Amino acid sequence: MLKPFPLNLLAVTISALMLTACGDAETTIIEKDPIEETDDDHDDHDHVYDSYTIESMGRLAVLSAESADLTVFDLDDNDALDTFALVHESNALSVSADYRFAVISSRAQDYVGFIDGGFWREDHGEHLHDYKQAPVMSDYELAASRPTHVIKHDGQMAIFYDGDAESGIPASVQVLSDTDISNQTSVLPTLDYTMNMHGVAKPRGEYLLSTVRRDDAESTSTAKILPDQVGVYHLHDDEYELEQVLEINCPDLHGAAQNSEYVVFGCSDGVLVANQHDEEYEAEKIANIDILDGLRIGTLYAHKESESFISIASGHGGGPAILLSVNPEENEMEALEWQPDASPVAYAFSHDGAHFLVLDDAGYLNILSAHEHDGHMHWELESQLDITEEDVATMPEGMSFSMTVAQNGHYVYVADPIAQHVLQIHLEDKEIEGDIELDFAPEAITWLGVAEEEHNH
Amino acid sequence: MYKISRIAAVISTLLPVVAMAQSIEGVVINSDGKAIAGATVRVDGENTQTITDSKGRFIFNKLSTGINEIHISAANYAHLHQDIMLADDKVKTLTLSLSRSPIEVVDIVGTPIHMSIMESASPVSVLAGEALRRQQASTLGDSLEKLPGVNTNFHGNVASTPIIRGLSGPRVLIAQNGLDVSDVSRVGPDHSVASEASTAQQIEVLRGPATLFYGSGAIGGVVNVVDGRVPTDNTTQGEWLLEGNSADEQKLGSFNLTTGMDSFAFYADGYYRESSDYEVPIAPELGHDEENGAHDFVVENSSEKSDGITLGASYLFDEGYFGVAVEQFNREYGIPGHSHSEEEEDHDHDEEEEESVFADLEQTRVQLLGEYNFAGKVVNKVNFRGGFTEYEHAEIENGETGTLFENETQELKVDIHHNPFSEWNGGLSLHYKRSEVAAQGEEAFTPPSETQTIALAMMEEKHFGEVLFQLGARIERVTLEANNLLLPTLEAHDHDEEEHEHEHDHEEDEVETSTTRVFAVKHQFTPVSLSAGLVWDFTPGYNLGISISRSERAPSASELMSFGPHIGTSSYEVGALFALHEDDGDTHIDLTDENTDIETANNIDLTLRKTQGDLGFVFNTFYNQVDNYYYQTDTGLFAESGHDHGEEDVHDHEEESDEHTDELPVYIFKTDDVILHGFEAQLAWQASDEFKAAVFSDYVRARLKDGGDLPRTPPMRFGTQFSYENERLSAHLDITRYQKQDRVAAQETQTNGYTLVDASISYDLPLFNQDMAIYLKGSNLTDTEARVHSSFIKDIAPRPGRSFALGIRGYF
Repeated sequence: MLKPFPLNLLAVTISALMLTACGDAETTIIEKDPIEETDDDHDDHDHVYDSYTIESMGRLAVLSAESADLTVFDLDDNDALDTFALVHESNALSVSADYRFAVISSRAQDYVGFIDGGFWREDHGEHLHDYKQAPVMSDYELAASRPTHVIKHDGQMAIFYDGDAESGIPASVQVLSDTDISNQTSVLPTLDYTMNMHGVAKPRGEYLLSTVRRDDAESTSTAKILPDQVGVYHLHDDEYELEQVLEINCPDLHGAAQNSEYVVFGCSDGVLVANQHDEEYEAEKIANIDILDGLRIGTLYAHKESESFISIASGHGGGPAILLSVNPEENEMEALEWQPDASPVAYAFSHDGAHFLVLDDAGYLNILSAHEHDGHMHWELESQLDITEEDVATMPEGMSFSMTVAQNGHYVYVADPIAQHVLQIHLEDKEIEGDIELDFAPEAITWLGVAEEEHNH
Repeated sequence: MYKISRIAAVISTLLPVVAMAQSIEGVVINSDGKAIAGATVRVDGENTQTITDSKGRFIFNKLSTGINEIHISAANYAHLHQDIMLADDKVKTLTLSLSRSPIEVVDIVGTPIHMSIMESASPVSVLAGEALRRQQASTLGDSLEKLPGVNTNFHGNVASTPIIRGLSGPRVLIAQNGLDVSDVSRVGPDHSVASEASTAQQIEVLRGPATLFYGSGAIGGVVNVVDGRVPTDNTTQGEWLLEGNSADEQKLGSFNLTTGMDSFAFYADGYYRESSDYEVPIAPELGHDEENGAHDFVVENSSEKSDGITLGASYLFDEGYFGVAVEQFNREYGIPGHSHSEEEEDHDHDEEEEESVFADLEQTRVQLLGEYNFAGKVVNKVNFRGGFTEYEHAEIENGETGTLFENETQELKVDIHHNPFSEWNGGLSLHYKRSEVAAQGEEAFTPPSETQTIALAMMEEKHFGEVLFQLGARIERVTLEANNLLLPTLEAHDHDEEEHEHEHDHEEDEVETSTTRVFAVKHQFTPVSLSAGLVWDFTPGYNLGISISRSERAPSASELMSFGPHIGTSSYEVGALFALHEDDGDTHIDLTDENTDIETANNIDLTLRKTQGDLGFVFNTFYNQVDNYYYQTDTGLFAESGHDHGEEDVHDHEEESDEHTDELPVYIFKTDDVILHGFEAQLAWQASDEFKAAVFSDYVRARLKDGGDLPRTPPMRFGTQFSYENERLSAHLDITRYQKQDRVAAQETQTNGYTLVDASISYDLPLFNQDMAIYLKGSNLTDTEARVHSSFIKDIAPRPGRSFALGIRGYF
């Protein structure tokens, strides 16, 4: 049956030269490194699903705080796979919609680039097919003015480019999938504004909910660069066209999140909730509650399994933060019972949505979990994990702890710039299970790989 | 009818002008002495052309002294060439008489030397004017299939491409205004040609090897779709059309418009077409003889929607013109037979519903065309053609892109015509083309590749008394590079095998790693083509053409580098760079030990024509021996489609073969010597001014030199065409008989013959100062079952049943 081919890692050159009466033909073939792919040699009907998939912890992209480099680690053996020199000095790290690519954005340089983590899944109809290859720097780049917010939802990633008032460049949004990145799609679905703004866009299939900045005279925002309305845009031939502007304004709009039903936006006077009914979006405002006392919600987190959103209210430029739960179903906003003592530096939902994680500057990972009382969800502190043995006062200027949640299990990874390592933490067991030693201080990390749905079959 | 009176009026105002320097004044008449209005009169080698007025008069000023060769053409008349000697400051007055030709003669514009159906050594045909509008269909193959020597590979009304003398795919080049159409229609029969007939002015077909003019891809012939996207004059004129069709509920609207002012000319065209699944007279699947008169049969998933718009502008100057045009072409169509319903099988998976596959193609084409006429000593004209196209074609299943085909091409052609040199006319042609083609996804059977062609060609012709000699040569350098040629470990197996080494009870979670070998491949080919021909006017009104050529073709990326399932042909395709190897009774696929060689066609064409009179005919016969012909052979092995539905490769092979629906037969490209020969015949008789009758027939036999037939060769055809045309009314009746095809390749089945009857009637309504015509077309009037032997999907998609189209069109 299957005969293993002799694999000669040295290049083999087969060259042939042929001369005929008139024309000639010359062929040069050079063998390159082969692609290893999992495949089932012979399977039977019962394990179609498993036979093409690869069991793996995934990969981790670590952005250095010391140099413009990004290193990709293999989480199965914690080995560094490759280090990539980045194009620009100042970079932000995020991840593509299906976690295949590390997304590098340089706001000041108007640049978005991609590094292929090398581990991805294709849906071949009847089976899921995983591929595992060496990570590579993609030569696909996006260039538009001031890429700021990178947001992903259900296979789509939206990049919001703020534009630039000084040079008169308007804001824009581009929406792309992992396939677009791997195919290097030249024309992406795009929304072009006529003004610059510090806005945010949420992709929902053919629709895009994106912020609308009005003329300064009309705008209800105090900081005019912040938009105060939300538009519903519909994709026609690679361009988003405005179909509807939500009726309720959202002054000083900043921050947005979405679960499977609702899209919420942070406004200075509350939270704007958008909900689709048939073709139309309806808007509601959940007003700020008294405890906020002048603070406003500017950051929101959502998980598609979670009915409630976690919102963060804080003054501009840090300071105390108030964590709230916003439930659009019940049209309610309430402060969490637990509020952080130290200043949070990172927030995240766990992969299954059962936990909300707050990493603070004192070196604690606060694990909150949702509990139901009388049909009402409450978030409570379940555990507080000390993630550093170092003196947090020695944190170098401009650096902080950071974290990323694995999308294929119960792990969260926390990067420590003082100890120069990344911890692997099991959320169910609340234990540090391993670490990856670094020879540089990490600035940001993100998990790459194949996201696993909770198995429900 | 094209409106000519306004143009003629403009010309006639010029007539009283006193002619300066050397000029010709003339009148064009027919054999009865009546003036011919609207005839085109051209001076060869000069950028001078005019149209005769209502009294048949024309005038040329400022001609050069010496011999001027003038060429006159008019609808329904034979073309006339005449050499006229001009002395200094003399005005020559001429009367030129044209003879009737019942076979319409339209000049080819896509070649640097003069060619037409009646006047060239090698056979050509042109579909233009009313005939083009009558025969235009939603696909290029169906539009051209009534031309002698041209068949369609009928792909369920949606993706048919032309077959010329039994050859298609990478051997027939499709061009738009002389530049490669740059789509992916050459690699898959289910891929539509990115060109539209309804906005075209004329479609030219060169039958037989035409590598001389177009390079490697044209070894079997060329189809050149010509439109006026880069206008060469700024007279306001245009055309519009609205049509509805019954069998597929097709709705078509199209227009084209040329206008301008001063030195600028502008052009726009556009079309929109939408059709539903088309009706067929019987159950579309062969062998499903359902007796159900109550419901209509349709070919599922054969609907189509397309639109396109082209804008062009040019700058006109005394010595020529230069212009640019941009086209956006969009098309969405169902791919019949590319759906994955599994009716007989019963799987435990939950996707039972039929998945239909459709293609969504999009192309942006930019063309730069220009001409510059020199008063130089050596060079008298330079023709420039440049193109840039970006093509994308997604095959979409379940709303997701299964495979994405891309083609990005840049092309440049420069023809340099020299002044007659001891009466030799001709010139040099420089050609550069670079294409990047990729297919990614499930049907990624060919790796991304880049092809570059640089060519130099020379064509010359000279009249020796009654004999016209045409000579040509071309040398090309083709480089074909692919950086990631993949050789996966293919689990091909033989269905007759008795034993199984398959282990059925291995551990559930066992995951094995297979290896795909990767190669960087670079080919460099130097094809050379040579051609010589003569046209001998052995007696007035007749001529004999002979053309001998040796043409070479570099194989295409798909023929060399394929490795994967090709759903369009329902086969697992393996390119000629690979071969079957046997070790200890095990068969596996590895790199071939053979050299990759170019394909060579040695062709001889004989043509006998009667060019003038009430009876006209053109008989062509050809013999073409192709050495190193690349073709696919069945290996007898089967491989997983990679596109499957739960059945993997474990089978009880004793069971009936229905079990293997997820598998595809493995076809491998190899080369052999092939002989093609056949004939085309056309005879037309103008019985009266109104009534014309014509018969035609064509035949090709395509066989391997060592025995065996090539697949999907069109059967012998013959037919009659009757037409009646008076001032207002024109009526046509076409009856075409397709014979049974029983010369079939292994694995191929015979196809029954059938007779198609089509008729059309058109009535001119001169309304609103426009020439308008209302027309009714009926096709397949006998509602017969017609399966096209040259179609890949003949067993599931016959031709449409009886259908009527009603339309209105106008010229202004």
